[in-house]
Amino acid sequence: MADLYKALAQIHAIRGQVARGTEFRGYGPETVAATGLLAAAAAVGQSLTLKDPTRSVSGYLAIWIATAALALLVTGFQTITRTRRVHSGLVRQMILSAAESFFPALVAGLLVTLVLVHSAPRDLWMLPGLWQIFYGLGILASCRFLPRQMFAVGTWFLATGVLCLATGTGARALSPWEMGFPFGIGQLLISAVLRFGYRQGDEDA
Amino acid sequence: MRRGKQTRQGLAYDALDSVIHERARLSVLTSLVTHPKGLGFAELKAMCALTDGNLSRHLQVLRAAKLIEITKDVDNNRPHTFCRITAGGRKRYLEYLAVLEQMIRDVVAGDKSEVAAESAQVPA
Repeated sequence: MADLYKALAQIHAIRGQVARGTEFRGYGPETVAATGLLAAAAAVGQSLTLKDPTRSVSGYLAIWIATAALALLVTGFQTITRTRRVHSGLVRQMILSAAESFFPALVAGLLVTLVLVHSAPRDLWMLPGLWQIFYGLGILASCRFLPRQMFAVGTWFLATGVLCLATGTGARALSPWEMGFPFGIGQLLISAVLRFGYRQGDEDA
Repeated sequence: MRRGKQTRQGLAYDALDSVIHERARLSVLTSLVTHPKGLGFAELKAMCALTDGNLSRHLQVLRAAKLIEITKDVDNNRPHTFCRITAGGRKRYLEYLAVLEQMIRDVVAGDKSEVAAESAQVPA
């Protein structure tokens, strides 16, 4: 019986090793593009409903956390179904590998948001910049199994995040386009890389 | 996932790919699938602990089945053979692994139920 368990462990290890050397094709370009449009729509929604977001931080957080949750839900569902189709035989390993790369940045962004809301409400203007930096770090961490052009998109989010931190105080604090523009453009860039960046003829089995 | 079917003799796994299900070829394919950029003949020989003749023979079988591709060139005036798994080979290997895993899981489940049945028959 021990030999059988050893054989199962070896099969699991081989699958893990194969997954590590495989480009991840589970993210769908159309869905990612749709989340970019969703970010732009949320920015329009904010500009129409919140005249002064610094006086209605809860409304601001509600709009953007709901947008992020919806985007995550749609992308997550689509990623699982697409991975099942594209990476047959490696589904679990590929999804785990993608999640392991991206989730630390996501969790860090969530925790920093909670800390700022509870302990430093005066510094909430930093949130858009910090969210973009964490998102950019998540993308950079995922670059090892995505097309290499994705590095440029990660850098885009880092740059826009730093720009928001440098200029997002005063009258520009929590402006809708601090989120709508970087995420709208950034998601479209990710979509373009996913659509055109993979090497032809090297697709996964 | 394709599963084995129950027969009088036990479990028959028709889906186990007969080209892959040979110790040396399984070893070669496992080495190549975990090195997607490919391996040289000498590296492959060392990894699989095979002789030149044995490895050549198995590589020909794998190439004939379109599981691998072999390229030959000259490096420093010495012939250099390079082997790489094909997309189709990778797919068949993963299917083989899935069937093999299912077979082992079925055997483990069978053993467990036998042990449970024996335990139930032991008088208190």
